[in-house]
Amino acid sequence: MMQFTENAPPPSLYTAGGGGASLVRPWPDFPTSAKSLQGNFNNAACMEQLLVHCACAIEANDATLAQQILWVLHNIAPPEGDSNQRLTSAFLRALVLRASRSGCAALASSITGCAAPDHPLPLCLSPLSLAGFIDLTPWHRFGFSAANSAIADAAEGFSVLHLVDLTTTHCMQLPTLIDCLASRYPDGPPFLRLTLPTSSPAPPTLDISLHELGTRLVNFARSRNIGMEFHVVASTPSDGFDSLLRHLRAHHLAGEALVINCHLMPHRIPDESAGSTTTASRTSPRSAFTKALRSLEPALVIVVDEEADFTAGDVVGRIKAAFNYMWIPFDAAETFLPAGCEQRRKYEAAVCWKIENVIAMEGVGRVERLEPKAKWVHRMRAAGFAGIGFGEEAVAEVRGMLDEHSAGWGLKRDDDDLMLTWKGHDVVFASAWVPTTSAPV
Amino acid sequence: MEITAGPGGLVLASRGWAGEARPDGLGPASSGWAGETRRGQAGPVEFESYSVMTVSNSASGEASASSENHAALAFLPPPAKKKRNLPGMPDPEAEVIVLSPKTLMATNRFVCEICNKGFQRDQNLQLHRRGHNLPWKLRQRTGKEVKKRVYVCPEPGCVHHDPSRALGDLTGIKKHFCRKHGEKKWKCDKCSKKYAVQSDWKAHAKTCGTREYRCDCGTLFSRRDSYVTHLAFCDALAEESARAHGSENRREEKAATAAAAPASLQEQQMVSLPMLPDQKDRENSAVLLRYMPPLAPASMSVNCNNSSGSTTSCAGNTLFASSVATTRTSFSDLIGGTSRTEAEPPSLCLSSNGPPSLFPPAPERRQFAAPPPSAHMSATALLQKAAQMGAAASSSSFLRGFGLPASSSPSATGCELQWPEQTSMSAGLGLGLRYDGSGAAGLPGLMLSSANLFESKPAATLDFLGLGMGTAGSSNAGGLSAFINSIGAGGLEAYGGGRSSTPSKAWDGSGGDREPNGRAFTDSNLWSAEVLKQRSGSGENAVKIDLERPMRTEIGVREIAIGPTDLEFADKNLWSAEVLKRRSSSGARHPAASAAGPPTTVDDMSVVRSWWAFLTVRSGG
Repeated sequence: MMQFTENAPPPSLYTAGGGGASLVRPWPDFPTSAKSLQGNFNNAACMEQLLVHCACAIEANDATLAQQILWVLHNIAPPEGDSNQRLTSAFLRALVLRASRSGCAALASSITGCAAPDHPLPLCLSPLSLAGFIDLTPWHRFGFSAANSAIADAAEGFSVLHLVDLTTTHCMQLPTLIDCLASRYPDGPPFLRLTLPTSSPAPPTLDISLHELGTRLVNFARSRNIGMEFHVVASTPSDGFDSLLRHLRAHHLAGEALVINCHLMPHRIPDESAGSTTTASRTSPRSAFTKALRSLEPALVIVVDEEADFTAGDVVGRIKAAFNYMWIPFDAAETFLPAGCEQRRKYEAAVCWKIENVIAMEGVGRVERLEPKAKWVHRMRAAGFAGIGFGEEAVAEVRGMLDEHSAGWGLKRDDDDLMLTWKGHDVVFASAWVPTTSAPV
Repeated sequence: MEITAGPGGLVLASRGWAGEARPDGLGPASSGWAGETRRGQAGPVEFESYSVMTVSNSASGEASASSENHAALAFLPPPAKKKRNLPGMPDPEAEVIVLSPKTLMATNRFVCEICNKGFQRDQNLQLHRRGHNLPWKLRQRTGKEVKKRVYVCPEPGCVHHDPSRALGDLTGIKKHFCRKHGEKKWKCDKCSKKYAVQSDWKAHAKTCGTREYRCDCGTLFSRRDSYVTHLAFCDALAEESARAHGSENRREEKAATAAAAPASLQEQQMVSLPMLPDQKDRENSAVLLRYMPPLAPASMSVNCNNSSGSTTSCAGNTLFASSVATTRTSFSDLIGGTSRTEAEPPSLCLSSNGPPSLFPPAPERRQFAAPPPSAHMSATALLQKAAQMGAAASSSSFLRGFGLPASSSPSATGCELQWPEQTSMSAGLGLGLRYDGSGAAGLPGLMLSSANLFESKPAATLDFLGLGMGTAGSSNAGGLSAFINSIGAGGLEAYGGGRSSTPSKAWDGSGGDREPNGRAFTDSNLWSAEVLKQRSGSGENAVKIDLERPMRTEIGVREIAIGPTDLEFADKNLWSAEVLKRRSSSGARHPAASAAGPPTTVDDMSVVRSWWAFLTVRSGG
């Protein structure tokens, strides 16, 4: 390993490179000035390449090379630049964090100055701020709109709607659902039983307690003349919501419509790549989770999640996948939020948190293990569910919602499912499932 | 102050603050017409009056103080109103013009007498007249002849009818008149909002759907979902409910006075449960909040504030909601939650006022209220469900159908309150009570006795009053709380007069086709007005509800208020208002119902006893 001086100024790439002639340069032509760097490197493909090489260097414990690349990246990707630069900057910080976590502490501390990972986290918002936060893009609203219609449909004919809300958004869907139920069933809205797992630690978090949150929701339901119960069951995705499922088995009442709303949450359940040595010997927690859902005989299961695959075991694979997905929130934010505004800062902080989780974390700490729709479809079918798709009303609802957002957002219907797109790229999928009559496989 | 009679009559106007000398000595902030007196020259389409008066502003009210016409000054709006820049307040030198509504709305009010062509402006008519070789006259632009004109609204009650609030241009007063007093004939296709002025409608159409939602906190929303979400978490809603709760508390304090609004019932049903201390450390803890919408009087709630805490029938229908179609196990989850030993967190039902321990293992034996129907089920659906459950349960008791033990013996799930007299009684949750003919005289009968519904037992209690529970003929009575509620609902009165010891015919008739699945009860017409009339006329003892005034009672601590609106069942056929009115048309009101004293914090039993005594006396007479 090369000698590394901790407080050395960021070396000029050429001179540093000249010292180590044996280094294999991943890039053919290396520009000398920052200005030309801007010109030549300011494209996403190049940045991705640099990030990948940097990750390789960190993985290989090659501090010098890593430092050099990080320095380049820092120069071509200021945190306040355009959306691609911001994206790269976020990855850069994530890589630094990874380096510091993986024991490459010297590297991390040396580049702290240049990478400047200012951590605005943890992002803690009031419910109103969170509501505004969620409303910035259709990222969450897409799933909300699609699910609300489907849930309201499923509640038809039932006097009690038992909703299990597995979400990272702290019940932000509920007001619209309550409103939807109230308008759909003006004469006799179903009684709403809401069961929540204890909140996940992922940002943004709420600055009020779950109890207060519940109070407000129940209060709101009252204003809509809907009876409502609010339960919280201590449960986390890390064990596949085991205690929650046990609770549901014990408290699922015969006459109620049980609806499981999985909103950007199931990907937090550990997957096969969780890294445990015993993984191979047991079934995937996710498959176990879907099977457990099936055993509850729910009236409806909504699965809404981000369309990406962050389950790769190696960090390089995840960088590629994440880089080719996480540009979307940055790009979208660019279209409607002025740079430097508080909302954008918070918005990007939450995105950065996700990138850091994907890149820097390993093991149980890495909760952002997205799986693409195809995998979820496979799991759900294997568990004995059949997709029922969304009605025209749901589609109209979603379209209406998208119309009020930037023109880049779009809706795609493939098979039974809905897909939110940004400039044609898949972003979030929504699918609705009911148990098949035949026994699960 | 000068007062000058103009050609059109005497117009008195004052400028500035009328009689109010401002303490700070400042002059009037704005000027306006004080008032007017019109004489003569009535009825021309256009009449002009001149205000020629001037008032020195610096006098700061002295002028008006010295005014001879105090009556006119009385028209002045209070000074506080003038702080805002109200529309109107024209130049006092201007002519005040009053147009009739017809003229005002006429598009072409200047009509050529030759060809009947109409014009919007006199100037245009004059130019037109030139073509007919008629004498014409264009108004001179120069000179003092051109007076500024102001226009008042022809609608007498309108603020702009007052010359002091006249509007400066004809279009303005036209639009005002259309908006405020005209028909709204322009309808937005998107949101169905209607507008009287086409330009308003056009302006709205441009922005419809963009900034349409405004929260009380002042925030504007372009999208409904954003607005709705905001609404749920905005402090405005919380404050509103806090106010409501506050007023409820106030009502509670002076419970003796004032009929309580039905809303208080609603408030009481907002039950919130902080985590119980002993549960906090449990792995599976549950926070449970609950609200049940108010419905029938059956959803009356009683919160007992005894220091021992606890009986709460508060969420009566809540209980039901949670135990829909389940067996008693689930009910015991709710009621006897603390006694459960399973690992699962018990769902808890609690009183907001009670101490944390909810249903203490019971030295004091109480019976919990029966679950009244919940709002989301129609009464018929409820009956059907009950019937199904009744069929499924080992006991065919209706009561058991709801998960309540049917009561001839104390059950493990609840604590039972021993009825002091040890007489048979039934609790009515519903609208009234009937007397049990076969039992001791004057037993309050429960409206819906399970035995009558699903069993062929000789019926002891027959009347159906709301969805209550009843126990027939057993010495231990169930549903005391519910009973208390029913009695306490105030205004409940026993029919005097005759009593019948025979079951109601109407009931028997329908009992013929009782079936396990309860199909007989799904027919809402079963409880149609006819049946009820018949029964109320049959001389059986019954309890009536006074619809005319909110009813209240005090049991233990809290008041129960039931307004007429609460009497609506989801199924309207069940209780037609007519019948209820009819039934309430006679009978005396118990004094306690209207003149309730301060909240008694004594134990429930004394209240119950007094009610019992009262009822016994009434029925005996």
